[in-house]
Amino acid sequence: MSLLEVDAVTKRFGGLTAVSRFSLTVGAGEIVGLIGPNGAGKTTVFHLLSGFQVPTEGTVRFKGVSVVGAKPHAICRRGLARTFQIVQPFVNLSALDNVMVGAFNRTDEVAAARRRAVEVLDFVGLGARRDVLARELTLPDRKRLEMARGLATQPELLLLDEVMSGLNPTEIEEIIGLIRRIHGQGVSLLIIEHVMRAIMALSQRIVVLHHGEKIAEGGPEAVARDPKVVGAYLGEQS
Amino acid sequence: MAAEALGGLALGVLLAAPPFLPPYFLEILISVMLVGYLGAAWNILGGYAGQFSFGHAAYFGIGAYTSTLLFLRLGVSPWLGMLAGGVLAAAFGLAAGYLSFRYGLRGPYFSLVTLAFAEMLRVIAVNTKAVGSSLGLVIPNREPAPVNFIFAGKLPYYYVILVMALGAVWITRVVSRSKLGYSLLAIRENEDAAEASGVDALGMKLRAMAISAFLTALGGTFYAQYFAYIDPTITFGPSVSIQSLLQAIVGGAGTVLGPVIGAFVLTPVSELSRAAIRGRAGVDVMLYGLVLILVISFLPQGIMGWVRRRR
Amino acid sequence: MTADLLLQALVSGLLLGGVYGLVASGLSLIFGVLRIINFAHGAVMMLAMYTTYWLFTLRGIDPYLSIVVTGPLFFLIGMLIERAVIEPNRFAAEHNQLLLTLGLALFLENLALVLWQGDFRTVRPSYASASFVVGEALVEVPRLVACGGAIVMAVALFAFLRLTDVGKAIRALSEEPEGAMLMGIDVRRIRAVAFGIGSGCVAVAGALVTPFFYVAPDVGESFNIMAFVVVVLGGMGNFVGALLGGFIVGLAESLGATLLPGSLKQLVVFALFVLVLLSRPAGLFGGGRGR
Ligand SMILES: Nc1ncnc2c1ncn2[C@@H]1O[C@H](COP(=O)(O)OP(=O)(O)OP(=O)(O)O)[C@@H](O)[C@H]1O
Ligand SMILES: [Mg+2]
Repeated sequence: MSLLEVDAVTKRFGGLTAVSRFSLTVGAGEIVGLIGPNGAGKTTVFHLLSGFQVPTEGTVRFKGVSVVGAKPHAICRRGLARTFQIVQPFVNLSALDNVMVGAFNRTDEVAAARRRAVEVLDFVGLGARRDVLARELTLPDRKRLEMARGLATQPELLLLDEVMSGLNPTEIEEIIGLIRRIHGQGVSLLIIEHVMRAIMALSQRIVVLHHGEKIAEGGPEAVARDPKVVGAYLGEQS
Repeated sequence: MAAEALGGLALGVLLAAPPFLPPYFLEILISVMLVGYLGAAWNILGGYAGQFSFGHAAYFGIGAYTSTLLFLRLGVSPWLGMLAGGVLAAAFGLAAGYLSFRYGLRGPYFSLVTLAFAEMLRVIAVNTKAVGSSLGLVIPNREPAPVNFIFAGKLPYYYVILVMALGAVWITRVVSRSKLGYSLLAIRENEDAAEASGVDALGMKLRAMAISAFLTALGGTFYAQYFAYIDPTITFGPSVSIQSLLQAIVGGAGTVLGPVIGAFVLTPVSELSRAAIRGRAGVDVMLYGLVLILVISFLPQGIMGWVRRRR
Repeated sequence: MTADLLLQALVSGLLLGGVYGLVASGLSLIFGVLRIINFAHGAVMMLAMYTTYWLFTLRGIDPYLSIVVTGPLFFLIGMLIERAVIEPNRFAAEHNQLLLTLGLALFLENLALVLWQGDFRTVRPSYASASFVVGEALVEVPRLVACGGAIVMAVALFAFLRLTDVGKAIRALSEEPEGAMLMGIDVRRIRAVAFGIGSGCVAVAGALVTPFFYVAPDVGESFNIMAFVVVVLGGMGNFVGALLGGFIVGLAESLGATLLPGSLKQLVVFALFVLVLLSRPAGLFGGGRGR
């Protein structure tokens, strides 16, 4: 049994099929990359996995149990956390309070949640900014905050939706390092990313989505050489 | 430190000064405490969870009618009736909240539906003979009887509402420093992100609703005992709902002391304006409207938010 | 319950429904463009009714004729309110904008109370009690005129929204705000105009009902609540829905009044309101964004 098993999932919005018979597994300890051109349906897949949207067809099993129809918080409680492509910090709360909200996923004690949040903030490199209101953080810091909040829930699987977009090369390097350290703590990851260099370096396996369908899957080199993948990305540019 | 000293001083004055106040000022202080209390109750749902109820009169009325009917019809002490009213209001709040939240009513739609619930109760009360219809209910026996929440003079009522207001502030403080408080703030800020972080938004909002409704109902019982008269418009009408949210908005929604501070500012404004322009009803509420516009425009976080930013 | 009474209820309901429709169209227009539920809509109507009253009482100007004054006047007042009160808070939190219009409503209503006290005033021109009988139902002429006038006004509004550049800009803004911004529409101006038109509509509605209604500071409240119900029923920002919703609510209210004792008719309207909100926040006829 894999950690995450997605089987033939379809999502339709009226006439538009955003995701079509999509299957995917993520094993414990894996880092899997999910790539595809704009509008391919990647974020929709995340919504389906995390309970924000319900698949039109197909099943999603996490740790062997179906999570279709479960509320997002219940899925988070089971150990699947996510970030949002457009970061969603609690803007009027401090960085620490933001992360504490995540930490309460595993404890009811304020002191314990605070300890956990401080730890995670230090871990992602925001320790010095913990008392700053989220609205005052820079974009790179907000991306870190987004990851910290997810991490504070103590997930077994963390979904990251384009946490590197809008960052400069140095910042991207730092995030790559951070993701490696998260992985080092035993967290499995499913990563959506447009920054190819990063996804190639991080992923053990890459899944390519195009028009809602999986067109390729395999190791980074194999996928990069796949003519269908190259075609999908070239088609996007023309 | 300075803030704590100031708080202690204020508390001392509130406890010690009233026996020496002329009746007029005592009455004003009682209304400050009552609306401050109602504001604090509203604040838990509106200020912390960000669910702007426009219908807290529903809970106020349930509280007032439950204890008064139990007392008049069955001779049950209003102290007990108060609890019964609180429980009933919490149950009503849970039902109304479950329906509203379950069907995804957010923001202004939630405000509208809560307004409608309160208005429905008002219409029902107006049309129900058993609860006195539009004539309302009078508590006739004014023989002082502390066990029945009837006192000689205003002073004891003052201490009752003072304790209630302090209690509401204390509860707010406890909530704000608990998992519930953090969850409510997260929901107010961004419900989706809160859910993604493991916050059971529906459950937490319902908890806030139950606490808020329960406390508001106790205020209703206090009102009934203090004025010895209730009717559907006074208790279920929109003005109680507006009063409750006004104190919190002006003082600072989502802060522990905001509603009480708001009450200390708004009530004197209303009293002074009424004294200045005699014989013209509506001056006070007109000014409330103006204050509301000005506060939203210039102090969107209320007085407490402004104080905090200046520090 | 006799058939006559039911017929009578149908007629009264439909006639008042037209007015509700016009009031709600204005509310819906404002919501469509500004994304604000305007709690002060009824207060504007009340002020228009007082204007009608004073024009009639002091100058002897016929209520219907006074529309040429009240309509444009309240269009301007609406624009002014938008510019002075709403616009500065355009980016305030949604609930704060709601409170802003609530504050405005409290202010205007109680201003009227301070100025003119709470007594009920009436405007009774010679034709106030004119009526005729159709089948078994009595049709009061002023109510018929109000309904007809409201429909004419609503149709004129639709035509305006379809045919003029300003109207098209309003529709663009309420249907696709982002797109409209890109098309180079002067959003600030259109917002003020929309608020003005909405206020003008409700002012006309106010003038139309004065010959058979009373005038008092809180007279707008019940119309405001009705308009909320209508707009929720018809779909926020959906103008045709607002007119249809007006008739439904008018009917529900007057059937409720006939079938239920006392003021329980209001219960019917509120129940309808809650049911529609809970089941379809986008309204029965779709349209504007609900949630
Ligand atoms: N709630 C929705 N209603 C209707 N259509 C939607 C909805 N959400 C997404 N879509 C559509 O589904 C398709 C897939 O969108 P999605 O956001 O999943 O793409 P993506 O791969 O994440 O793209 P990007 O790389 O730009 O983030 C798009 O065509 C989008 O317009
Ligand atoms: Mg995406």
